[in-house]
Amino acid sequence: MVVTGRAVLLAFLATVAVALSGLVGAWAAVAALVLLALLLVADVCLAASPAALRLSRDGDSSLRLGDSAVVHVTLANPTRRRLRGSVRDAWPPSSHAAPRGQPVRVDAGERRRVTTTLTPSRRGDARAAGVTVRTIGPLGLAGRQRTLTAPWTVRTLPPFHSRRHLPGKLSRLRELEGQHTAMVRGQGSEFDSLRDYVPGDDVRSIDWRATARNDGVVVRTWRPERDRRILIVLDTGRTSAGRVGDTPRLDHAMDAALLLAALAGRAGDRVDFMAYDRRTRAQVRSSGKGSQVNRIVEAMAPLEAELVESDPAGLVGTVLGTQGRSRRLVVLLTDLNAAALEEGLLPRLPLLTSRHLLLVAAVRDPAVDGMAGERGGADALYRAAAAERTLSERRRVTAELRRLGVEVVDADPEHIAPALADAYINLKAQGRL
Amino acid sequence: MTATAPAAPPRTGAPGDGGPDAPRALRVWRSARTPVAVVTALVVVSVLLSLGTERFPTGYLEPGSVSPDGTRALVEVLGEDRDVDVVRSSAAAGEAVARAGGDAVLVVTLDHRLLPSELEELAALDTDTVLVQPSVASLAAFAPGVEVTGREVPDNILEYGFAPECGLPAAEAAGNATVGGELYSAPAGADATGCYPGGSGDALLRVEDGGTATTVLGTGTPLTNTALDTGGNAALAMNLMAADDVVWLRPDPPRQEGSATLWELVPPGLRWSLVPLVATLLLLALWRGRRMGALVPEALPVVVRASETTEGRAGLYQARKARDRAAYALRSGFLERTVPKLGLSAETAPEAVVETVAARTGDDPGHLRALLYPDGHDPYAADDDALVRLADELDERTRRLR
Repeated sequence: MVVTGRAVLLAFLATVAVALSGLVGAWAAVAALVLLALLLVADVCLAASPAALRLSRDGDSSLRLGDSAVVHVTLANPTRRRLRGSVRDAWPPSSHAAPRGQPVRVDAGERRRVTTTLTPSRRGDARAAGVTVRTIGPLGLAGRQRTLTAPWTVRTLPPFHSRRHLPGKLSRLRELEGQHTAMVRGQGSEFDSLRDYVPGDDVRSIDWRATARNDGVVVRTWRPERDRRILIVLDTGRTSAGRVGDTPRLDHAMDAALLLAALAGRAGDRVDFMAYDRRTRAQVRSSGKGSQVNRIVEAMAPLEAELVESDPAGLVGTVLGTQGRSRRLVVLLTDLNAAALEEGLLPRLPLLTSRHLLLVAAVRDPAVDGMAGERGGADALYRAAAAERTLSERRRVTAELRRLGVEVVDADPEHIAPALADAYINLKAQGRL
Repeated sequence: MTATAPAAPPRTGAPGDGGPDAPRALRVWRSARTPVAVVTALVVVSVLLSLGTERFPTGYLEPGSVSPDGTRALVEVLGEDRDVDVVRSSAAAGEAVARAGGDAVLVVTLDHRLLPSELEELAALDTDTVLVQPSVASLAAFAPGVEVTGREVPDNILEYGFAPECGLPAAEAAGNATVGGELYSAPAGADATGCYPGGSGDALLRVEDGGTATTVLGTGTPLTNTALDTGGNAALAMNLMAADDVVWLRPDPPRQEGSATLWELVPPGLRWSLVPLVATLLLLALWRGRRMGALVPEALPVVVRASETTEGRAGLYQARKARDRAAYALRSGFLERTVPKLGLSAETAPEAVVETVAARTGDDPGHLRALLYPDGHDPYAADDDALVRLADELDERTRRLR
């Protein structure tokens, strides 16, 4: 049951009337109350029943963070009364659903579509909480309200800001494949084709047998290896919950992982994805050729950092066990946290590096770098010393990882994605995949 | 018609554990038992305390009061050899006087509480009367012609009192008394005796009228518990109330009758309009308070600043003034950044590092050694200023090596 401002106004007018009624005040008061109650009850009874409405939904079901999604609710009124009132399509607060409520009128037997715009401020799945329908009776005094369910989920995908780096990195990749092939004769490069010699080519790449069979001089061309396997592992443990700038470390890592996945997909490599802390949170296995980016984005969307210590033993076991046996590039996106890595990952690294190539990428915090540069007064120096100590531990872990044959990419949030892409391209150029 | 009990809510926890799944009554009892126990204890204690005390009435010239301005002492003394009736209204006083027969003294206190008609009735009683600081109306009724001619309250009245200076035996026998206050003078020709004279009249005046005497006392002070043992106060009071029966009248305040309250003066229409007004307020609350559907809860991820641990460590350094650790961290930071740039490895011996840096910056190797690798006592960890100097010197070397 709901009442409107009109009912309050009516009640106030009744109050004034009773106040002016003089000696018959008691009778006037009773009459006013009875009349008011009768009107309200009549209006409630005459209002269309919200429970009888049939709801159906359509609209967007996924969007990138920062965009807006439009979701529709269609109200079908099968009753024989006209429905007049307002509708609110409720969503979690971080979805910033607008408008909060809107007036609606559905004639008997008709249907009407109500549109709500979502502008989520957070990645992940947002579930519709319910559609609240308030119907007002013909007098406009009172009515009924009911919250109906109309399930719908809108998935907010990671924003993939680093997409802007993709064209630049792709052109670098094409340089590897194209005319500069001769320059990158590394071990493991694949024979691609024979073509005519062009001035500038390395004379060492001349295929003398083919030259003998042909008129002109023929050179061999190589291309970087294709169909290599890359496994991107996202650490969703407690260290990824830390906020660097305004965004958690996990989201920066996702951004970098997406750029790498897009790049590797274009380069013809197979990309697998896994999110792990103490168990596998998400997994995408490459199925044949083609870009896996969309599937990875879908898998990333609902991921949140868990407040648990990651389990490196389980991680190494999962990487070694469930995936194929062939050599692959394992890209681990985590934090260069001395305590966590030295106790957990380092002792188990040889197992992993003996079979795969490991690349560890970590987001470094510009705030700590800024702290290390603080001067002026002893208090600032204590902060600088604490930051130096953190950086020193980071350097130590990095050195230790490199000594064990692990590639390390350590960059601030702005540069982590391109730096990881560069590291991948370099590995590819060196034929180390 | 029987009401069916609502189905019990499903319980997930063990019954009776007091947790959120315990029965509602149990939870209410557990949350309420402490306040209930406190209130019960307070009530019991206050009842026990009040059992031991006797309640006395209080008030000026109140015969039952033991406070300084009461007259319980005098009434007790009077009661030893004569009958004392304490009455609270003029009607009761009349009955008491009639009951006493001939020999009675009527003591009237706080007579401003009596209506003129009641004063007339009392004055018509054929008995001796003592008026204690009477009102003008009372004087006119009991002793017509007597006037209030002044007012005198000596500062040290309680110590010295007034001398009687008259021929009244009751006052002469009593001697000095702490009378004072209002002073009276009798009209010419009346059979009156004035005692305790002040500047413009007498503090005690006795008027004989036919067979009865009316004694007017300017103040009730001599009768009170505090002043009764001072000078001749007690004797004066006893002498003035020399009779077989003493009727002590201390009227209760007259009750108001026949007046209308504000509520009764409000027109009935306005009064009855409160009913629809309440309904209006309820509707207003419902209109504004009714929400469009329930609030939507959302689980938000926990996100902390990644530099939190570093800042925590800085706070610890600062709180404990850990200069040695801070100096160590600053030095190792400098060395780790510098040594690789000089083409040396991290395992290079300190001597080699000092030598190389000195060659590049032109520093004294001994000073550089103390700056980078202090052994034992570290001069840069002595106080905060030394720490600032260390940082400055390290920054200076960084600039020169660039």
